[in-house]
Amino acid sequence: MNFRPPLKARASRIIVTCLLCLGFWQFGQGAYIPAKAWVAQELMQRAWRRAETGEEQAAPWPWADTFPIARMTVKGGDIDLIILEGGSGRTLAFAPGHMSASVLPGEIGNTIIAGHRDTHFQFLQYMKKGESILLETTEGRKYLYQVTGIDVVDSRRGSLVLDTESPMLSLVTCYPFAAHEAGGPMRYVVTATMLF
Amino acid sequence: MEYRAIWDKRRPSMPKSCWHPRLPAENWRNRMPELFKRRSSWPWLAPGMLLCLIVPGLAGAVPDTQYDDLRPGQMQSGTLLMRMQAGYRIATRMNTDIELKVSGLVARVSVRQKFLNDGPEWVEGVYVFPLPDDAAVDRLRMHIGKRVIEGEIREKEQARKEYEQARSTGKKASLVEHRRANLFTTSVANIGPGEEITIEIEYLQILKYDEGTFSLRFPLTLTPRFIPGAPLPSRKGSGWAPDTTRVSDASLITPPVVAKSEDHKVTLSANINAGVPLEIVASRYHPIDVQETDDGYRVSLMNNTAPLDHDLELLWRPVPTAAPRAMIFSELIEDDPYVLLILLPPNESTTNAVVMPRELIFVIDTSGSMHGASINQAKRALILALDGLKPTDRFNVIQFNSTTHSIFSVSVAADTRRVRTAKAYVRGLKANGGTNMRPALEKALRATTTKTHLRQIIFITDGSVGNEQELYTLIEQNLAQARLFTVGIGSAPNGWFMRKAAEAGRGTYTHISALHEIDEKMERLFRKLEKPQITDIEVEWSDGLKPITYPETVPDLYAGEPVIVKARLKNRPRSGDFVRISGDSAGGSWGGELSLAEFGDSSGVAALWARARIEKLLDDERRGTDPAETRAAVVATALEHHLVSKFTSLVAVDKTPVRSLSANLNKEQMPNLMPYGQSQQAIFGFPATATHAPMYRMTGITCLLAALLLLAWMRMGGSAREFSAAS
Repeated sequence: MNFRPPLKARASRIIVTCLLCLGFWQFGQGAYIPAKAWVAQELMQRAWRRAETGEEQAAPWPWADTFPIARMTVKGGDIDLIILEGGSGRTLAFAPGHMSASVLPGEIGNTIIAGHRDTHFQFLQYMKKGESILLETTEGRKYLYQVTGIDVVDSRRGSLVLDTESPMLSLVTCYPFAAHEAGGPMRYVVTATMLF
Repeated sequence: MEYRAIWDKRRPSMPKSCWHPRLPAENWRNRMPELFKRRSSWPWLAPGMLLCLIVPGLAGAVPDTQYDDLRPGQMQSGTLLMRMQAGYRIATRMNTDIELKVSGLVARVSVRQKFLNDGPEWVEGVYVFPLPDDAAVDRLRMHIGKRVIEGEIREKEQARKEYEQARSTGKKASLVEHRRANLFTTSVANIGPGEEITIEIEYLQILKYDEGTFSLRFPLTLTPRFIPGAPLPSRKGSGWAPDTTRVSDASLITPPVVAKSEDHKVTLSANINAGVPLEIVASRYHPIDVQETDDGYRVSLMNNTAPLDHDLELLWRPVPTAAPRAMIFSELIEDDPYVLLILLPPNESTTNAVVMPRELIFVIDTSGSMHGASINQAKRALILALDGLKPTDRFNVIQFNSTTHSIFSVSVAADTRRVRTAKAYVRGLKANGGTNMRPALEKALRATTTKTHLRQIIFITDGSVGNEQELYTLIEQNLAQARLFTVGIGSAPNGWFMRKAAEAGRGTYTHISALHEIDEKMERLFRKLEKPQITDIEVEWSDGLKPITYPETVPDLYAGEPVIVKARLKNRPRSGDFVRISGDSAGGSWGGELSLAEFGDSSGVAALWARARIEKLLDDERRGTDPAETRAAVVATALEHHLVSKFTSLVAVDKTPVRSLSANLNKEQMPNLMPYGQSQQAIFGFPATATHAPMYRMTGITCLLAALLLLAWMRMGGSAREFSAAS
């Protein structure tokens, strides 16, 4: 009877192995997302410098389907982000994205920029009214915005205005910041008006 | 075959994948993000399920608590907070059933809106919904279980007062109000927990008859409107836009929009009795079933339901030999005879007609609401139009969103090189920003004219504006010799804007809601643009009839269009009485005579006449008649004919109170379904802005912990076994 290996022990070992693999894989995934976000920003800072030297629609890496449209500096340079065009999931993985339906920085209307609450736009929770945001376009024009409002809105009911009488900026991210699940309906919106 | 790409009952053997009108390439692209989203959610689903097995309670603890930590201090916008406190989930669900009966040229439509309260509290449901822009809404019934309560017509303020009183005393009540000619609101008070109330609204409508085809269009949702102007301090409704200086009721016409919904379904049951044998019965955008019955055809939606996200259009065409050239319908109400007549001018050969050279100005809407499928349709239509230009024509292309831009500073000759430049410009257009229509219209209308050319403005838009009246006035005042043709784009364009703007611009309107119909419909528009019009149309009645007719003077007709006249006569026609219609065209003059001797009994003719009268009165107000007088005249007509109008509403109140006054009543604004093919992101600016990283990390840590625990358990279990073996 004793020559048969204990079935229970074998099953347990398989489960432990599976759990370990799963655990490392998931943990890796969890680490990969912020890592990708950070590396992409680094690459884009370089693409930005290329764009500054005159290259048109400089793609940050050869196969990129988007291009930087602005550079955002907040909190005296502590936060320095490149903004990409478009708000698709693919774009937001690398950088905050400018909603293509909204106007470009500096134009009359509302410029809407969205970012992930757990990577690039994590800092939004520390923004306060009166703080300034600097946007620099690829042409080298600089626009200074000042935070005038912070709202939490239900994306199923509220909306962002696209058309305003003066240049505005809306930074959008998910809310609450500490939530684990993605796909919730609440959004955290930081609104700023252009000073000059 | 003109109807190649649309639905009809004669082609049941096509493979299923070709059938579906929603499968064209453009739609695949729209669906892609959804597919991606779905795929990206499964990697954590499997471990997530494991988690639920291993650590019960943990998974349950994650959601729900998510939204509880909203700190009021963070919130600036009071209205948003209020709406959030009302709950995230709307307890009320609603579906719509449409039943229509067509006899001849008139359709009587019954729309049943079922409000079902799923929640534990009493609810007031408010639903903003579109109807055809020329609908004469004349009946309201509230169905509570088996009981039916008829609605009464009242002046708007009186109706609201009666409704509010019933609401606060706990009685069931419903109210149907006019917001725009094609936008209405239903309010239903005191829907009990778990209860269902059906609101039935009936309206009459004249079919569209163009190039030998009858058609009927039902708008099922609305494209969110652009609201210009500065915000006002107070708001009347609970919509997403504040009331503004230029659209004072914006908060009443901007209901919330949802991208997906389990509810928001429509069913359709139509009885078509055209009075003539039909060659084809079809639906443009929805698959339908058609059955032949004793007195015509019965149409229903295939699979019975469809989502409320796309206008529904039915059309049918008589066998060419039986196609009617003239029809007359009449009704007698309290000794007042009403007549509705339709007459199709003869087709004439235009080979020898001299066609005047034209100056075509294309105006294309590139605002955010056009983002998605709409802008692709608009660009295709415009490129097709550019291809159709003749070298003798002059042209220009103007695009507008928040700002206006034209490709050439003035109109230029349509030579190959310039047309090529324009096509490249159009291909590169992108949709973003607001719908600031006024400057673009001004630019198109006020451009310096060339005497030798006939100016035709082709205006391609979804009409998603809230300041319609302001724009109609602008067109009327600046039109001069030009003509304005509107092309409505998208799944749910603003039909009222399309029709009235074209009317003010003395042109025609066209709806394009899918890529596959662009060629056919643009071709039809080109025919209207190129063929000479029929002008100086006169309608002459026998002496003694003394009619009041709408339209007062018949506008010029384009190729394929019929003359439609609604009249109220002073006296009942005797035998020998007639009406004579005549007109001039490039091919010569033309005339026709219809006998009025046989007076029929077609219900609805009077209501349709009254509807036309109200529209005329309001148009006159825009042109400067006294508002108080207009109001009195509209109210009198509307009350007499039981019609909902700008100043009158239908209200139904149950006699017995049902809600005890200590119980709360929650107001819930029903959302509308996002028009098909439009991205919510484009209008509301809310993409998904969270990653799965925290979830991954948590799952990872939990798995590793579970593995460690299991290992420890195995160690202990193992030593226990050794121990038992030794003993």
